[in-house]
Amino acid sequence: MGERVRFVFRGRLDPESFSAFARQRAARLALGVEFGLASRTACEVTVRGEAPLVDAFDMACSLGPLDCIVIDVERGPAA
Amino acid sequence: MVEAGWIAVSLSGALERGAAAGAIVDGRELALWRDSAGAAHVWEDRCPHRGMRLSFGFVRGDRLGCLYHGWQFDGAGQCRSIPAHPDLEVPATIKAATFAATEACGLVWTSLEGEAPLALALDAAETTPVRSLYLDAPLGAAIAALTAAEIPAFSGGGDAKPHLAPLAGAKDAWTLTVGGDRLIVAGQSVDAGHSALHLVILGAPSTYAGAGQKHFARWAAQFRLAAESPKGAAMKEAA
Repeated sequence: MGERVRFVFRGRLDPESFSAFARQRAARLALGVEFGLASRTACEVTVRGEAPLVDAFDMACSLGPLDCIVIDVERGPAA
Repeated sequence: MVEAGWIAVSLSGALERGAAAGAIVDGRELALWRDSAGAAHVWEDRCPHRGMRLSFGFVRGDRLGCLYHGWQFDGAGQCRSIPAHPDLEVPATIKAATFAATEACGLVWTSLEGEAPLALALDAAETTPVRSLYLDAPLGAAIAALTAAEIPAFSGGGDAKPHLAPLAGAKDAWTLTVGGDRLIVAGQSVDAGHSALHLVILGAPSTYAGAGQKHFARWAAQFRLAAESPKGAAMKEAA
């Protein structure tokens, strides 16, 4: 249950590192997670869960792992 | 790399009910706290929310609250309350990393790798705490200095020459016998250049409280000078 939200994290990313980080944070927050586009400039992540925990995921990934710099976060309801 | 085994991280009396404190073992940062019922806990010093040190947290009953956003964790490390979202049913996935913790002989012990219950190979009906000594020296150097140290006995009788023997059942712990006195010296390797020695007298407070504690505490302070700078201590003595 809860909401389904699509994020696109843009910046200077290591797609593998960022995806692993996002997956780990989603698991900690008990969110369902699906990955879409992943490149050195953008990673698309769709999560499903309680609104406060989705917000926490947003904050957690806005900094990202040590080897990534997130410059912009696009967020909206998933299709 | 931390080896398996129970390690002393504090005197029991130094961890008050309702308080939290930090400790480091081989570079690994820990949060020690004691709940309102008196149980001691040893956790990784990091809130799973934003990484804030839990050792800066506050104790509320049987929970530890993070200072940053007030997330509260029960004795098992499970997050039970997120103040910003009071109606949220906190998922079981949000929990602090905890380590085995126990108390014996006036010391708080932890096992970072998880193993059998602590079983110290000694019989100590009563103990009297002395102090925790924090040294700017590796644990190995501290113990080497201790082995060579002159230690004045408080009680008469026995062999005046100090004798240090490993304490079976714990890591980096020894019994120190001098004269009619017996102590536990429990070592804590903080990092490559720092260590702690937690000193407890194996004897009743009715015998050692006050004068006995001061006796060994004063000796410990002098010992630290020698352990941290053997050359400097020798020069001072020669002067």
